[in-house]
Amino acid sequence: MQKYFHNLGEKIIVAILTISGTVTSLTVLLIVFFLFKEGLGIFSMSPVTEGTVIAVNNRNPVTSLSASQLKEISDQNITNWQEVGGLDAPIKIFRLDDITDYFTEDQLGADFEFMPQRINEVVVKDPHILAFFPDEYISKDFGGRQLQLANITVWDFLAGREWYPTISPAVRMGVLPLILGTLWVSFGAILIALPLGLATAIYMAEIASNRVRGILKPIIELLAGIPSVVFGFFGLVVIVPLIQDIFGLPVGETALAGSVILGIMALPTIISVSEDAMRTTPRAMKEASLALGASKWQTIYKVIIPYSISGISTAAILGIGRAIGETMAVLMVTGNASVIPDTFLEPVRTIPATIAAELGEAPQGGIHYKALFALGCILFLLTLIINVTVDLVSAKNKANR
Amino acid sequence: MSFHDGKSTNNGKRLAQGTAFAVFRALSLLVVAILVIILAFIIVQGISVISWEFLTEMPKEGMTAGGIFPAIVGTFCLVAGSMIFAFPIGVMSGIYMNEYLKDGYLKRFIKLMTNNLAGVPSIVFGLFGMALFVNRFGFGDSILAGSLTLGLLALPVVIRTTEESLKAIDDSFRIGSLALGATKWQTTSRVVLPIAFPNIITGLILSIGRVSGETAPILFTVAAYFLPRLPTSIFDQVMALPYHLYVISTSGTNIEASRAMAYGTAFILILIVLVVNLLANWLRRYFAKRVKMN
Amino acid sequence: MLLTTVLLGACGRSGETQGNNTEAGGNAPTNITIKGSDTVLPLAQQEAEKYMQKNAGAYITIVGGGTGVGISAMQEGTTDLAMASRPLKTEEKLKLKGAAKDVKEALIAYDALSVVVHPSNKVNQLTREQLERIFTGKITNWKEVGGNDEKIVAYSRETSSGTYEFFKEHVLDKKNYAPGILMMPATGSIVQSVSQTTGAIGYIGLAYETKEVKALSVSYDQGKTFVAPSVEAAKNKSYPISRPLFLFYDNSVAGKIKPFLDYIMSAEGQKIVLETGYVPLG
Repeated sequence: MQKYFHNLGEKIIVAILTISGTVTSLTVLLIVFFLFKEGLGIFSMSPVTEGTVIAVNNRNPVTSLSASQLKEISDQNITNWQEVGGLDAPIKIFRLDDITDYFTEDQLGADFEFMPQRINEVVVKDPHILAFFPDEYISKDFGGRQLQLANITVWDFLAGREWYPTISPAVRMGVLPLILGTLWVSFGAILIALPLGLATAIYMAEIASNRVRGILKPIIELLAGIPSVVFGFFGLVVIVPLIQDIFGLPVGETALAGSVILGIMALPTIISVSEDAMRTTPRAMKEASLALGASKWQTIYKVIIPYSISGISTAAILGIGRAIGETMAVLMVTGNASVIPDTFLEPVRTIPATIAAELGEAPQGGIHYKALFALGCILFLLTLIINVTVDLVSAKNKANR
Repeated sequence: MSFHDGKSTNNGKRLAQGTAFAVFRALSLLVVAILVIILAFIIVQGISVISWEFLTEMPKEGMTAGGIFPAIVGTFCLVAGSMIFAFPIGVMSGIYMNEYLKDGYLKRFIKLMTNNLAGVPSIVFGLFGMALFVNRFGFGDSILAGSLTLGLLALPVVIRTTEESLKAIDDSFRIGSLALGATKWQTTSRVVLPIAFPNIITGLILSIGRVSGETAPILFTVAAYFLPRLPTSIFDQVMALPYHLYVISTSGTNIEASRAMAYGTAFILILIVLVVNLLANWLRRYFAKRVKMN
Repeated sequence: MLLTTVLLGACGRSGETQGNNTEAGGNAPTNITIKGSDTVLPLAQQEAEKYMQKNAGAYITIVGGGTGVGISAMQEGTTDLAMASRPLKTEEKLKLKGAAKDVKEALIAYDALSVVVHPSNKVNQLTREQLERIFTGKITNWKEVGGNDEKIVAYSRETSSGTYEFFKEHVLDKKNYAPGILMMPATGSIVQSVSQTTGAIGYIGLAYETKEVKALSVSYDQGKTFVAPSVEAAKNKSYPISRPLFLFYDNSVAGKIKPFLDYIMSAEGQKIVLETGYVPLG
């Protein structure tokens, strides 16, 4: 009997442990589920601001407009119907607020109850009108023609070059500048961090005495522990003005400032992973090389580095991963202009910074909210690719040995 | 690879080695210098701000005077909350993966997932925490939602340290215990865990350091701009140190006047990290010594 | 997970008893949450601070995020007061009506938007049309508006802020900002950046003006008259870029928040408005 309880207890414990063991996998799956559920929703949405009607006069030959044409019309870069396939006539934009130019408050009614019919009158009267108004105000016998916009496609989203997530009547959701900005900053970070990190790793693994190493190791750990917002603060008050002075730039908030800060933040990862890799080089190999008359330096670059190259590449990939996802520090130093940068000395906007800056404002469930989740998906996929690559590299490495 | 024995090449070799090593030493020194500059900068600017008042009072005069007490308490609550969640689950998960799970696809899958979770950017945790805890579970912006989000972020760190401390224990301990008729759980709980305990605690302390400095995950799950009172329930919002630093270094009508407060807050954050690291190192050495004595 | 919740609950309850002890001397506690515009944030924070000093039982939580955030939070019932640096949009009115909210507005102050440049910039005044062309990317060099041969670096607030939209509507004639504009997460960052960038131009609330930046005079009549931003000019409406600041609330919480609103409207509250750098009413 006692033995029975004993077994039962053991079984319960195993069950609890198993459940705990699956928590991380479950979390990853939940993250995937929630991110993609919200994020993919954007591809079944129209770029038109929710509840907005875009209408033209019935006699107007234009039957469809794209979101980018609508933006150019709003910006008055397109002012003639001819440019979008219509007649040679100026485009007359009508927004809801303009109704007071046409009618008095009395004519609209105290509770705007005559609004639908007034809007109808405006649209029917002017053959060159382009009207934007809330769909509550569309009358039952509406005499104009409503324009429908095509849903946002994956291609529009990924390859679009304009990020205007809040404009009306139709948003522009092109994330190419954000993706390139993220990659650009991370790439710069790795260019800075890799040589520096590798040199330190080699120094710690092969050259430094135990005492020196004992000092360096906690310093690297400390560097890893500094909160990103402290790095951002430091970047804001020190690095940004410094870069502006050194390069004589009109503006200090640049991709380079982000890269420098991210490079410093990626250092601990690169140093500790590649140092570990170098330390696993079998002693026999090192000693054989030294016995053949090679200098310590020759042994390092002809034996140890080739042997630990996969560990070093893992370090580099993990470093990039750390840089891609970093949010607060980048938000504070890169200027956040959503343009595709030509050089490191221009401002950029990254995906994490965009999410952090805009999520608070985006109405829940709306197109902007979903677009930010879609950005989260892209970010998640990037880091997933990185982790799977690392896994494959280290698995291959194990198989080789 | 060929090595000649001529004197000139030997000199060349020595020169190459000398140069290479000097470069490495210089670059390593640069890394140290970077850290020292950052630390010194913040400590020098921040230490004059620190006073009893700064640590124990509410922010005043539009956050340009007074203290950061509610932010300290808020960060403490979030750290405690996330650890209550992450520590037991993380340690159990680590035990499961190292002691119970056999090598194979399942183990590799769970490991990959844990690594993936460790690599997920903190802002994605923020998005997820907002979608699941704040909205779906209806916790609202609260300590509960923030703690759970931070707990998930800390989970892989705890799991990894637990696993590694268990892996470092020689199998002879386990075999010996099992041979004496102990069950697997008895072996794990009475033989393996006590040996691994110091390293697990060290890992826990380091993850406290990480959690206390995170901003992005709490941005949309708990952080408040100004809330000069202490939380009374887990459904309250709180101020938190990293968010407070972000806010006072970027907004407020008088940035120059609140700069001092920003340096002070940055100093406290750095201090937490320093203390946490020193403590972890000290513990590591202390336990290492004790193990040697045993 | 369940265990965690229970433990956290225990922690929270112990906190609660402590909280009650400290409150024992005061009136019945009232909790007010204020959310929204970053422009109103410093003002609301100062008002709340002074108000709480006078009323021991009152607790006010202030959260930023932008005007849009505040209004949607009010619609969801997660905040009592929504701070706004612009009137409600028609769409927002309709949505609030749909959520069965009886929204009241309280005008608490005015704010003038100053256009600021680096102190070394020799340009002292711009017309609205010039500002529009700068922020939409048509003018890119200071020499086109009478300055040195230097690239213009334009700073804007993030898309979430009421300031961003107000500037777009009243200065850019509803045209969109050029994509190359630098977006700063908060007004404080704009001041910081403009003060250290010689070719910079940005717009900030009057309250944020410091000696490190120079405010420009602005003309809304094609250059006939230029007016410099000041409290006086905003009050007598001669400075064109000024706007009302509001607190919105649902009628159902009116009783709870009325003492606080009354305080803001009082002479003392309006003095705080002036001290914080905004334009008092009347």
